[in-house]
Amino acid sequence: MELTLQKTDKCSIVSIIGRLDTTNYSILEKKLMEMIDNREDRILVECSKMDYVSSSGLRILLMALKKITMAKGKFVLCGLQDNIHEIFEISGFTNIFEIHSDQEEALKVF
Amino acid sequence: MVRYVHYKDPCSEEITRVLESIPPCPGTCFFMDINRSTDMKYLGGLKDWGRKLNNTFNALLFANHFEKNILKGLGDEMMLFVPDEELFGKEANNHYFGLLEDIYASLFLIKNHPNQDIFLNCKVAIHYCTEVYNITFFENANDYYGSDIDLTARLMTKSIENRIVVSEKFYTKVKNDLITFNLPFNTGCLSGISEKFIENFKGVPTSTEFRVIDV
Repeated sequence: MELTLQKTDKCSIVSIIGRLDTTNYSILEKKLMEMIDNREDRILVECSKMDYVSSSGLRILLMALKKITMAKGKFVLCGLQDNIHEIFEISGFTNIFEIHSDQEEALKVF
Repeated sequence: MVRYVHYKDPCSEEITRVLESIPPCPGTCFFMDINRSTDMKYLGGLKDWGRKLNNTFNALLFANHFEKNILKGLGDEMMLFVPDEELFGKEANNHYFGLLEDIYASLFLIKNHPNQDIFLNCKVAIHYCTEVYNITFFENANDYYGSDIDLTARLMTKSIENRIVVSEKFYTKVKNDLITFNLPFNTGCLSGISEKFIENFKGVPTSTEFRVIDV
C-alpha cells in the first residue's frame, strides 16, 4: 500500500493506493493520528485506487472518524470501488461515514 | 478434500484401513459465539434479533472473507476452519497474524460502532490444530474432526464477551509471522495480550496453555 498526501485550502487529501490490510494499516493509522493531533481535522480520504480493505483497515478509519468528530472536524471518503463499497455496507459504515462517488463531489462539502 | 466415511458393517476392516491412510490437515480453528442473543429472543421479535444476527454474521464472515470457511453454525455459534494449505494460497491475509488482527478488528468495530442497534458483541477462541482430519460422516458435508478441534471448543469456555482466547500454539504461529515481517511482538492487538494461563480441561490428558486479548 502507498499513501499520497495533498493539501488544499479546503482540506487535506489522503489517497490510499493498493491493499489496506493487516501488514500495513499501521502506516495509515500513524499518518491519520499525526494529522489529527496537528489539528488537521478536515480530511478527505481518496479510495479510488484502494483495491482491498480488511477489517483492520476499517478499524483505523472508524478510529479516525471518532477522533475527528470529537474535534468537530470533517472526515470524508470518496471513490470507493464496488467491492470495497460492499464491505463498507456490511460493516455498517455507509450510514456513519460521509461517502462521495469521486473527489470532485467530495471537495464540494468542505 | 473432505473424505466421506460411511461403512454399514460396524466390524468393517476396511474402515480401519481407510482411516489410517487419511493424513492430518493442519490449520486454524475458530469458534465464534454471539452474545446475548438468547436474551434477545425473549425480549424482542424475530425482526429484531434476526436482523442483528444477520448483521453480525456478515460482519464476521463476509468482511473478513471467511464465508467459505464456515463449517458449522449451531444457533448463534459458528465453527470455522482455515487449512494451512488454503491460508497460504490466499491473496490477502495469508498468515496467522492477519487472521488474528482481522478477527480483533471485527470485534472492535462491532463493539465501537456508533450505532449500537445493528450488531451484537461476540466472543472468540482460536487454536492452531495439527491433530485434525478433513473427514465427514455425513454425505455432502465438509467437516474437520480431531482432538485439536475439541480443544478449541474447550478454549471457548474461557472466553467472554469481547474477548479472544488464543492457544499458546496459535500465539507461537503469530509470533513467527511477526519475526518474518520484522515486527515487534507487541504489534497491533498483541499489545494487549495477557500473560499465559494454564488449564486442565476435562478429557484432555495434558495441560493447555492459552492467553486472552480483550477488545
